[in-house]
Amino acid sequence: MARRTQANTAMPLALPAELTIYTVGELHPQWLAWLQQGAASAPAELQAAAVEQVDGAGLQLLLSLSRALAERGRALRIHSPSEVLRSGCAALGLNAWLQGHAEPGVAA
Amino acid sequence: MKPDHAKDPDLSFIREVLPAFISEAQEQIESLEQLLLQLEDAPGDSELLNALFRCAHTIKGSAGIFGLNRVVAFTHHVESLLDRLREGQIELTPALSTLLLQCNDQLRTLIAQAAAAEEDEAVETRAARAALVERLQATAGASAIAIAIAGQDAAPDPGTPTRASSSRCWHVCAAFGPDTFRNGMDPMALLNYLRGLGEITTLACDSAAVPALDQLDPETCHLAFELDLETGASRDEIEGAFSFVRDDCTLQVLAPDATAEADAGLIDDLPDDPRLGETLLAHAGVSPQLLNAALNKPAQGKPAAPKDPGVEDTSGRYIRVQADRLDAVINLLGELVIAGAGAALLARQTRQSALIEANGQISRLVEEIRNGTLQLRMVPIGETFSRFRRVVRDTAAELGKDVLLDIQGGETELDKSMVERIADPLMHLVRNALDHGLETPEQRLASGKAGQGKLVLSACHDSGSVLIRISDDGQGIQREKVLQRAWERGLVDDGVRPSDADIDKLIFEPGFSTAEKVTNLSGRGVGMDVVRRNIEALRGTVTLHSEPGLGSRIDIRLPLTLAIIDGFLVGVADSKLIFPLDAVVEVIENRAAVSETDERGRGYVELRGQVLPVVSLRALYALEGPEPERTSVVVLQAGGRRYGVRVDQLLGQHQTVIKPLGRMFRSLRGMAGSSILGNGEVALIFDVTALSQLAAEPPGSSARVPRNQAETGHPNRQAHVNHNAHHGRNATFSEQGTTT
Repeated sequence: MARRTQANTAMPLALPAELTIYTVGELHPQWLAWLQQGAASAPAELQAAAVEQVDGAGLQLLLSLSRALAERGRALRIHSPSEVLRSGCAALGLNAWLQGHAEPGVAA
Repeated sequence: MKPDHAKDPDLSFIREVLPAFISEAQEQIESLEQLLLQLEDAPGDSELLNALFRCAHTIKGSAGIFGLNRVVAFTHHVESLLDRLREGQIELTPALSTLLLQCNDQLRTLIAQAAAAEEDEAVETRAARAALVERLQATAGASAIAIAIAGQDAAPDPGTPTRASSSRCWHVCAAFGPDTFRNGMDPMALLNYLRGLGEITTLACDSAAVPALDQLDPETCHLAFELDLETGASRDEIEGAFSFVRDDCTLQVLAPDATAEADAGLIDDLPDDPRLGETLLAHAGVSPQLLNAALNKPAQGKPAAPKDPGVEDTSGRYIRVQADRLDAVINLLGELVIAGAGAALLARQTRQSALIEANGQISRLVEEIRNGTLQLRMVPIGETFSRFRRVVRDTAAELGKDVLLDIQGGETELDKSMVERIADPLMHLVRNALDHGLETPEQRLASGKAGQGKLVLSACHDSGSVLIRISDDGQGIQREKVLQRAWERGLVDDGVRPSDADIDKLIFEPGFSTAEKVTNLSGRGVGMDVVRRNIEALRGTVTLHSEPGLGSRIDIRLPLTLAIIDGFLVGVADSKLIFPLDAVVEVIENRAAVSETDERGRGYVELRGQVLPVVSLRALYALEGPEPERTSVVVLQAGGRRYGVRVDQLLGQHQTVIKPLGRMFRSLRGMAGSSILGNGEVALIFDVTALSQLAAEPPGSSARVPRNQAETGHPNRQAHVNHNAHHGRNATFSEQGTTT
């Protein structure tokens, strides 16, 4: 599968096509590594256009990342969230959260 | 708890309940298939879509509990697609319907694997499944880009406008348990399911419990939700949505008219997390004082989510019983009936009226128990019938035909074992009708018929048996072709042309096929004779009526049950014989024995000005013994015909436990079986339909019936019996019986 995430410091984190319970186990260490490499106080950039499948577990992982960033005082920017990600957030009652982080902003 | 790591008690529990899960899953898969087929006729029917989703959801949920990961993973994809369908994001095209049906087949395979406890599976199976998943994802994914929806603003289900009128606003709080994901559940799917019940007006995800990435176990669920649901659904329905996560989910459903005190109780039951209280404050308009009062209460040993017994009620109306336990009871009951008959006989001999009366009471009770117990085994045949929807759909498509399947009398009940064993023969007949009977639309239009062919499957009760009928409006039996083939195969002497009905019966001969090209459906010529044998093994008969150009009709007549019948006991010479009581219409007592009969004992009597064919068992079966001066005639009805049977003695009603005939007497097909009487004597049970064919035949005709053209239901029987009768070689029936 070609969904290896880039772990470079400056690189934005590209979200994979599948963000579900089937991939969270694999993504978690990758994201952690990416998180640790990021410079303190630099905003964390997520590239979210490729997401084709989400579920509760996947969104929880995103929330968890968001919380970890918040604890480190870093901002989270989610770039061009895909339609699936948007509707997933809507289905889970996370519209407001996504709007707070989406870049460009999501039309309500 | 994760089943893989479950402790021993859990494992043994899982082993015990797995069969129940398997059978339930199989039922769900059946209903999935039916729903999919129904949906083809009514695409967009939201009730059907919801039911469909529920079925898939149920399978996935319970498979998760049993740790059947393959089933969970696969169903997950199906469920996602169904969800999109339900949301109206994609349309149900015929191609999609086929895909979903194929997925259902795959699911059936997976459940079969689980039933056989197969750990490994063939590479092909896995590849086939992966291909299906890919197609599912492609279908679901392609549509997702096209349509933008916000779940929160999802329009209320257009198909259920009635709900809106009576809808009320429920407040639901749900904190999912840590194992939710591992058990194969997804809060998102659950919320979407709730959207199927009504409209979620407000929804807040409480992510406060989600730890930061470094402390997170990504497979542990920390999500909690609070929402307002506007719906006409009942509390049970709402709580039912959570039934698979109920064990480790803290759920509160607050009725629309709940009082503030109840709100406080709700807060009480929530985890000690003030933030959830805050959301409640924001959403539900609970007064801050009340909230504080509730939150400040010391945490008492509060129970987990209170279990509402009402949730279990819907499934509690059925008890699953192992079939062999039921069979054991029925066997015992058979013995009881025999013993009871013996006791009744002894009681009558003592001539003590009190004893006879007490015995009569017992007999009545035994009969009631018998009826009740046999009822337990009865299942409607409709389930079997509806399986053919898929067969008809796929087969017709494959053959390029347009066929409408009409099912009638699906509620007719039949013994379960009978239903199981009739399915295969029926399948053959249905395929045969599709393959040979019904024409392509072009052919139909050319012969002035509607382009769409019609296939009717019906069932009804008819004088103590069940009549299953398969009729089509196709081209009928092509007698010329059949005859040609029969001549080629030497089934009929060259140039001899039997009657039309006899030609039709030829298709039941072994190795007979008229299909011009052999398809993989029927036409291998192994079908119809096997069908006939299978039906006869069930003590049934099959007859065929065909009108060239108009269609064919196949009637299958089956006994209601294989175990016990109400019998009418008669005596001829020293033999005791039993007719099924349902077939007995009336009895003419003490007729003078004088009447013209042929050498096989057939003649006529006059009954209320009508001529009634009568067959004398004494002459027909060459029973030896002095002929009484006066005999009685039992009038029987079978297959729409009435006829009389001349017997010596009428011995009355008798509860008859059918025992199969021994191997030596299997060929004696006029007999349905044997039974042991109370005094230990053996009585033979008649097959009245077979006997009627004998009685109705014009005298002397049987000798001219060509070889292999005996009655459809009972080939060679007359020849067999006749042969014995003429040579006086047959033993009396009671002697035959005792050797069985």
